[in-house]
Amino acid sequence: MAGQPTSFETMYVQHFNEEARPLAYYLAKMNGYEAAKKAFGMTKDAIIDEVKKASLRGRGGAGFPCGMKWGFIPKESPKPKYLVCNADESEPGTFKDRDIMRYTPHMLIEGMLIGSFAIGAKAGYIYIRGEYVREAKLLNEAIDEAYAKGYLGKNVLGSGHDFDLTVHRGAGAYICGEETGLLNSLEGKRGEPRVKPPFPAQAGAFGGPTIVNNVETLADIPSIITKGGEWFAKMGKLEKSGGTRLFSISGHVKKPGVYELPSGGYTLRQAIFDVCGGMLDDKKLKAVIPGGSSAPVLTADEIDVVLDVEPVMKIGSMLGSAAIMVIDEDTCMVKLIQRITKFYAHESCGQCTPCREGCKWMEDIIERILHGHGKMEDLDLLMSITDNINGKTLCALGDAAAGPVASFVKKFRSEFEAYIRGEKHA
Amino acid sequence: MPKCTIDGREVEFKAGENLIEVARKVGIEVPYFCYHPALTVVAQCRMCAVEVEKMPKLQTACSTPAAEGMVVRTNSERAKQNQKSIMEFLLINHPLDCPICDKAGECDLQDNSYKYGDAYMRTSEERRTYLDLDMGPVIKKNMNRCIHCTRCIRFGTEVAGIHEMVAVQRGNNTEITTIDGRPLETDYAGNYADICPTGSLTLKDFRFHKRAWMLKKTATVCEGCSKGCNMEIHQDNNVIHRTVPRANPEINKYWLCDEGRFNYHYVVDPKRVTAPKVGAERSTWHAAVAEAKARLHGKKVVVLAGTDLTLEEAKLLQDFVPKAFPGSALLHFGTPGIETTAKDAPADKILKRKSKTSNLNGFEKLGIKPLESMPAADAILVVRGGRAQLPKVEGLSNVIGLGVFTESESASFAAVLPGTSFAEKDGTIVNYEGREQRLRRAITPVGQSKALGEVLMLWLHSGAAKEAAV
Repeated sequence: MAGQPTSFETMYVQHFNEEARPLAYYLAKMNGYEAAKKAFGMTKDAIIDEVKKASLRGRGGAGFPCGMKWGFIPKESPKPKYLVCNADESEPGTFKDRDIMRYTPHMLIEGMLIGSFAIGAKAGYIYIRGEYVREAKLLNEAIDEAYAKGYLGKNVLGSGHDFDLTVHRGAGAYICGEETGLLNSLEGKRGEPRVKPPFPAQAGAFGGPTIVNNVETLADIPSIITKGGEWFAKMGKLEKSGGTRLFSISGHVKKPGVYELPSGGYTLRQAIFDVCGGMLDDKKLKAVIPGGSSAPVLTADEIDVVLDVEPVMKIGSMLGSAAIMVIDEDTCMVKLIQRITKFYAHESCGQCTPCREGCKWMEDIIERILHGHGKMEDLDLLMSITDNINGKTLCALGDAAAGPVASFVKKFRSEFEAYIRGEKHA
Repeated sequence: MPKCTIDGREVEFKAGENLIEVARKVGIEVPYFCYHPALTVVAQCRMCAVEVEKMPKLQTACSTPAAEGMVVRTNSERAKQNQKSIMEFLLINHPLDCPICDKAGECDLQDNSYKYGDAYMRTSEERRTYLDLDMGPVIKKNMNRCIHCTRCIRFGTEVAGIHEMVAVQRGNNTEITTIDGRPLETDYAGNYADICPTGSLTLKDFRFHKRAWMLKKTATVCEGCSKGCNMEIHQDNNVIHRTVPRANPEINKYWLCDEGRFNYHYVVDPKRVTAPKVGAERSTWHAAVAEAKARLHGKKVVVLAGTDLTLEEAKLLQDFVPKAFPGSALLHFGTPGIETTAKDAPADKILKRKSKTSNLNGFEKLGIKPLESMPAADAILVVRGGRAQLPKVEGLSNVIGLGVFTESESASFAAVLPGTSFAEKDGTIVNYEGREQRLRRAITPVGQSKALGEVLMLWLHSGAAKEAAV
């Protein structure tokens, strides 16, 4: 990647090319499956401790500490345990997991092998979004390679640990990226989130204790085992947040793409202007969505925020899946939020009242404003609807839909008013 | 017992009880739509969200088990705002056609709207509409009224044991329907209408019959089989408009099978004989009783009693028969093949039992013997409540019917003395497990029908054939 800084150690980007994909490359150049061998010599608790020391936060969006999550799995369970990889990557703007699956699939497979050993799962699933046709095929090829060489299957590497890994393709629903919606879909049911508790660690796939981790989270595991949790933790520049993160940067920048940056090592400004080479056509920056389309929008004045979970949360947005969408001065914010809201209304599963009814209502109102039929009180109504959705839904999709609308109306109110006054037309 | 505090009141609870149930114990109502005590908890409607101390978000009371020392507020500002907002969300797409909706008056959506909703609507958007779907003979579906609580889907899979109701499409377009739009198959379909919290699923049988608030309700027991499911008869002006299940956790929980639910129709069937008959002709009570007495006088009589009669009626017959017809047999009939309780068994995995009458057990307890094969007799008195299946009596010239019969059933009878059905009398029935339950009179006897006791009094006190001519 052209703009990728090289002043720090990286785990992924140097391997993001076609040559890195085969098992032979992974074994020769990436110390492949050595971490698994090392892990099989460790106790399960020691592995989980190492991951805890690494301060590895989930890369899917919520940023939940991975080691702590693994610790929730009961040691003994009458039902089989499962390790599920969330490769649904459905948050708009996110495309980092795709590169891992495309170029370094064995990092993920080895990570799952180690994870399954640590939690005592004999079966694993990679739930991949249906649109990733090519990646599903590549993953299956890599899994076949791993089976052929004994890295998957019965008694892996003589450890006594059995692990079977299956790729399950989704059918194209955003909600199947929500972990319990994913589990329902995996079980062949409607992709609808479940009531929590019980959390998947107590009763997940097929009722068994289950860990659901993001692709990148799992792919980080081999490096943590090989080089140690402390090494990984130190790669991050903030406490409680270790490693590097893959950022999917898109929108109006000169060099969009996937970049690997230390957790908390860069500000949003640096990411846009240094890493990505600045604004496309040197236009003025208007706004940034810092963590996938569900993250509340930031204005151009707010980009000195450090890119990590807590700092972004502190200013009222979220880092989410580290999908940064950069928006220039020519972009109509009303049209943009109309498109985002339409997406969430379309992707709402329809189970719970505020999300099912509220998302579509917001979409209808914004659509009306855009087409010149808005009223000034619609803006307060929109804010009130976001209040009524936020934190009151069954899963996080409601919040994901409400957060952006509230932030757009609050921060770019004048643009909505221009449409309502008839100064602008769709 | 552990205790928690709800709206400032200390409440004892059993482990595992959710906040809706615990609050109910002290008379605190937490409104809800999707929750149903007999179905799995899905926490979808979000109406029951309450404030729980130390938890940042509102918690749905249905999915939150009470815990020792938990402090809950069901009526805090935040909880009330949520209730108001959920009502608004549910109504932005609801047609609000209460004036022509059968559910009005007993509608959760309407009641909660009245209590927790706002008088003003803030929406001006077009409402969502769906195409109509015919779901078979029992249920009328109106998807526009649906609030997506999914109770019907869960009832199907969890109680009726059939996955026929499903959600299709997604989000705001979600439609609750049957698989491929097929008609409903379960023979418990009436319950879909009961558990629907709006007028989305209504009974075709009851549609446009009566406003719910006009109905007078009588708590009684179903006579459809030996299970003894508890039910209510709803009538107005002595016309039964429907029967609905009455919750009894030990027998039928919240349910009723369609056979039991629609059984009442024979009570008001125009083909029911509700006036005394001599031969094929309508008659007076005196003439009919005289005819009956004359036909049976001095004959070898067999008295057949349906196990759809109450204990009291059976006892009356036990006293009456030896006096009126010394040496005659009193035998019971009801369901062919299920002559004794030993042969009675569940007919499905839900409620139904093989004995299709309500009081087989009661008759056995009184020591009345079953009709196994027709004994030699030259006259028969058949006494029946209306449901017991008539044994073959054709070809016999001296058959007298006492009780509830249709015109065709009694076509060959020498006389009919019209009696009362389960809805027209008080009495006791004993279900298969020995549980004694009361039938309650919901309506006065239809036409000239008389209670069994009255008829027998008439029988005993009416004079000879002379008097009958009057």
